[in-house]
Amino acid sequence: MARAKTTRSTARPAGPLRILTAVPICDGHDSAVTTINIELARHGIEVIYLGYHQPASAIVRAAIQEDVNVVGLSSYNGGHIVFFKEVVDQLKKGGGGDIPVFGGGGGTITQADARLMQRQGTDRIYFAGTSLDSMMAEIKRHYGRAAKPNARFKGDRALARAITLAESGLSFPLLPAPRSRNGAPHRSYVVGVAGPGGAGKSTLIDELTSRFLQGNPAGRIAILANDPSHPDTGGAILGDRVSAIYSQDDRVFFRSLATRGSLTGLSAAAPAAIDILKASGEFDLILVESVGVGQESDPFRIFGRGPKLVDATLFVLAPYYGGLIQLQKIALLNGADLVALNKCDHPMAHTARAEIQARLDQNGRGQTLHPTTAAKHFDPGVDALYAAILGLSAKSK
Amino acid sequence: MNSLGKIADSVDAYNRHVAAEVARARTDPAFATALRERWAKIRASIETTHSPTGTALPRLALPQTDEPGAIAEYLLGQGLPGEFPYANAAYREMYLDKVSGTGEEPMRLFAGLGLAEDTNARFHYLGQHQKSLRLSTAFDGPTLYGLDSDHEGVLGKVGEGGVAIDTVEDMTRLFAGFDLTRKDASVSMTMNAPAPMILAMFIAAAKRRFGPGCVPNLRGTIQADMLKEVQAQNEVIFPIDASLRFLCDMIEWCVPNMPRWYPVSISGYHIAEAGATPVQQAAFTLANGFTYAGLLRARGADVNEFGPRLSFFLDCGLDVEYLVLGRVCRRIWAIGMREVFAANPKAQILKLHTQTSGRSLIAAEFQNNLTRTAVELMLSYMNYTNSCHSNSADEPFTTPTEQYATLASHGQSIIMEESGVFKHMMNMFGGAPGLLILERQVEQAILAVFREMNTLGGVLAAQEQRYQRSKIQEAGHNYEKQIYAGTRPIIGLNKYVNDEPMPSVPLARTSPRKQRLQVERLRAFKQKHAKKAPAALQRLENVARHGGNVFAELVNTVEVCSLGQITACLSGVVGKFRPMV
Ligand code: B12
Ligand SMILES: Nc1nc2c(ncn2[C@@H]2O[C@H](COP(=O)(O)OP(=O)(O)OP(=O)(O)O)[C@@H](O)[C@H]2O)c(=O)[nH]1
Ligand SMILES: [Mg+2]
Repeated sequence: MARAKTTRSTARPAGPLRILTAVPICDGHDSAVTTINIELARHGIEVIYLGYHQPASAIVRAAIQEDVNVVGLSSYNGGHIVFFKEVVDQLKKGGGGDIPVFGGGGGTITQADARLMQRQGTDRIYFAGTSLDSMMAEIKRHYGRAAKPNARFKGDRALARAITLAESGLSFPLLPAPRSRNGAPHRSYVVGVAGPGGAGKSTLIDELTSRFLQGNPAGRIAILANDPSHPDTGGAILGDRVSAIYSQDDRVFFRSLATRGSLTGLSAAAPAAIDILKASGEFDLILVESVGVGQESDPFRIFGRGPKLVDATLFVLAPYYGGLIQLQKIALLNGADLVALNKCDHPMAHTARAEIQARLDQNGRGQTLHPTTAAKHFDPGVDALYAAILGLSAKSK
Repeated sequence: MNSLGKIADSVDAYNRHVAAEVARARTDPAFATALRERWAKIRASIETTHSPTGTALPRLALPQTDEPGAIAEYLLGQGLPGEFPYANAAYREMYLDKVSGTGEEPMRLFAGLGLAEDTNARFHYLGQHQKSLRLSTAFDGPTLYGLDSDHEGVLGKVGEGGVAIDTVEDMTRLFAGFDLTRKDASVSMTMNAPAPMILAMFIAAAKRRFGPGCVPNLRGTIQADMLKEVQAQNEVIFPIDASLRFLCDMIEWCVPNMPRWYPVSISGYHIAEAGATPVQQAAFTLANGFTYAGLLRARGADVNEFGPRLSFFLDCGLDVEYLVLGRVCRRIWAIGMREVFAANPKAQILKLHTQTSGRSLIAAEFQNNLTRTAVELMLSYMNYTNSCHSNSADEPFTTPTEQYATLASHGQSIIMEESGVFKHMMNMFGGAPGLLILERQVEQAILAVFREMNTLGGVLAAQEQRYQRSKIQEAGHNYEKQIYAGTRPIIGLNKYVNDEPMPSVPLARTSPRKQRLQVERLRAFKQKHAKKAPAALQRLENVARHGGNVFAELVNTVEVCSLGQITACLSGVVGKFRPMV
């Protein structure tokens, strides 16, 4: 079945604990969970935060794709007995029955409720007034198991586990691609997305995802979202899923990667993760978001074996990059296959557009600038950018 | 839209003006004489009243001084109750008449549980002790998020934490047996993203009962404050610009058609409960208010028409700043509205609803919550709030059950009717040294936040950068850390702990049978209107797409469409909100 492959040995015994946290559907009480998130990260845990008002199906999908150690739910608006059970049951059905579910909800979850919930598969409930420190100590004690290869995992869970193993510096299986429709090996087109912090990379990726889902009635897309780990604690709050509204779809494989000390803008496991996703033959398009970068060199170049880790790079910037001098210094503008000026609703966008286009013309590579407003729904600029990606992908085939 | 810098400057300028006038009162004899004469006239106009034990008292307490500087300081710096800059009170007499029997009592109790008929029964129960008709509605999660009760995965939430409303028929059941057209009736609805749909259902239900002519008589408030939803309460369905457009459509429709309705309640409560400090609560809320004023003005609305229709809603907790928060907010609002928006006096007055803090109420030894709420009620009334909700002691566990809701309501009556504190004399506390010191500190801290947001480009730009959310989350985290570090004493939790087992209190929960009944009713409604609904939705879609007033159309749509159908239709036109951490 799965063929094992050894990666370079950045041997770490096991990665940090990964916890998915979320608030149930029709519930916006996020004050407790945001505090818990901060505390977890402070204790060296990687928190994948999904957000409030989340249906059980989205929680289960995220738990499986992120291959977390445990799911933590914070529920206040009632209905917790039904909701926790739904998550536990759907996890079992979806191949995540080994992922425990725990949580809290202040005084709204009574001790009698908690006993019933535990009989129905919930692992534990933290009641109102539990001190944060004691909670953290217990969480680390109970859920800090290292991930091991598991041959019984299938589908997204198997991919997710392979990525987890790669993140821990362990050898991971490359799942062979199932035969594609016409017998040819299935090819994924990989686009690396870089740009300054806050330029709108994640928003743009999600909008591109919506175009992909609309345009392909059956295909799948994968997203690798790299975000920084806290330099001191080693923990991280990986919150990209919160805003990724279109990625809440079974046709999207979304994985958050903490950089874990890597200073290149990508997790050290990103190349392996790309390999794993490509080898699976599941995905037509793979989008890799680097952490915010400025004037340094291309995160997708320094790594890979061979010249490039990805098939194309998309550089995203916002109108407030400083001035012409700053613009000159952005090395990524030289090599990027695609350049998007996002936040075109910003008053400075007009000037920025002219300046950047001039900067690209200097390169003499015929690069075109794509003006986008990712925050606007159905933005024609995003449509055009998506078409350009499809164009590049078609050319490469 | 951003006028925060100007507003901060205008408050400082006003303070300098007051200081200059105080100095002039002390140096310019003619001015001093004029002030003394005015002061004497005011004093002469104050009637005398008697306490039950026979003490004679003026109905209005004024600083006991004849010194012109002090007079100027009081009249200009604070204002008589009901006079600019309204620090002391929005109106001259506030509770005096209300508690003695002629006016309306300020008490308002938030209620909502189960299906419409259950909440209706609770309204009738709570109403037995009230002179005027005060209905304040809490909705359940699916309704707050614009979803129908048959939406996938929400069944367990139906009727929990509030009432389930899917259709105009539920709305009719909700208010059965109440004369909503009574002069002293007032209905408030804690409803935000779907506020236009829910208010449209309310109007449709009222028209069915009282005829189409009743609409101008309907009186009440709908929360509909989308900015604080983005910042704190997290009930946003549509993208922010679309959410604000639907809100402004509703306000513009209400101003001429429902002259007794408050179409937005600019809320700090949720901001504070999510963790914000009192200063952050006040600063973010006032800034949101000024942003709405700017948005409406930019759409061509007249500040003197919409200004009096804006109302405010603040939290009152136990921190010392709450001694003055309402006072300071009224003052900043009045100065900003007058100086920057050129509003007339009616549009300068901040009308305030207060709720005691839910977050200050804890599960451990929960009966202490009665005392906490009582203290917060005192602080709220000391700030001369226009209306007030008191939380029930079982707040940490459940939607209040009858027993604790009654205690909460009686708590207000004990303070307002049994005790003599607010009954006889107006302005009991204004001008006290501690209050003055606090007022100055809190006001300056609020202005500093205004200026910080101003440099970020105003409320909307700051919001996009998660400014408010990150401040609130940081403060919320600090609050919890202080509790568990023991630096914030909470009796029964980290101090004087009795180690009692967690109490088991009666819970208000909705049975699965009722939840299924709600779904059946909804399905029957959809079936009944299956022929007409598509055309109604098409009309709504056209209006939304072509920039018409969506609210004006919703009033028709709700006759044949459910909440969830309408949400889906509008989402198809404007897209979905992209949430932030
Ligand atoms: C703060 C608050 C709000 C704020 C929320 C702000 C925000 N962004 O979070 C505001 C004012 C917006 C709000 C609104 C509403 N609220 Co509210 N709210 C509360 C309140 C006062 C405190 C909850 C809280 O955050 N506590 C602070 C946390 C840190 O402490 P804790 O709860 O003790 O939790 C501890 C543990 O349980 C644990 N924990 C909690 N979660 C998790 C998760 C994990 C993974 C772990 C490990 C641990 C853990 O950590 C904590 C520390 O020990 C409670 C009542 C109360 N006093 O508890 C009502 C309460 C939860 N709300 C309630 C209701 C009904 C609502 C509304 C539906 C009202 C309405 N109809 O409009 C709305 C819905 C809002 C929405 N979008 O969903 C009800 C729920 C009733 C029920 N379930 O039967 C309550 C109980 C109040 C009541 N009695 O009516 N609310
Ligand atoms: N006005 C405007 N805001 C946008 C636009 N696109 C994204 N934003 C906002 O910009 C902020 C940052 O967006 P993200 O997509 O998280 O940016 P990012 O580049 O992924 O950020 P990092 O991953 O932290 O580097 C968010 O508040 C977005 O809502 C746009 O086109 N216009
Ligand atoms: Mg990002």
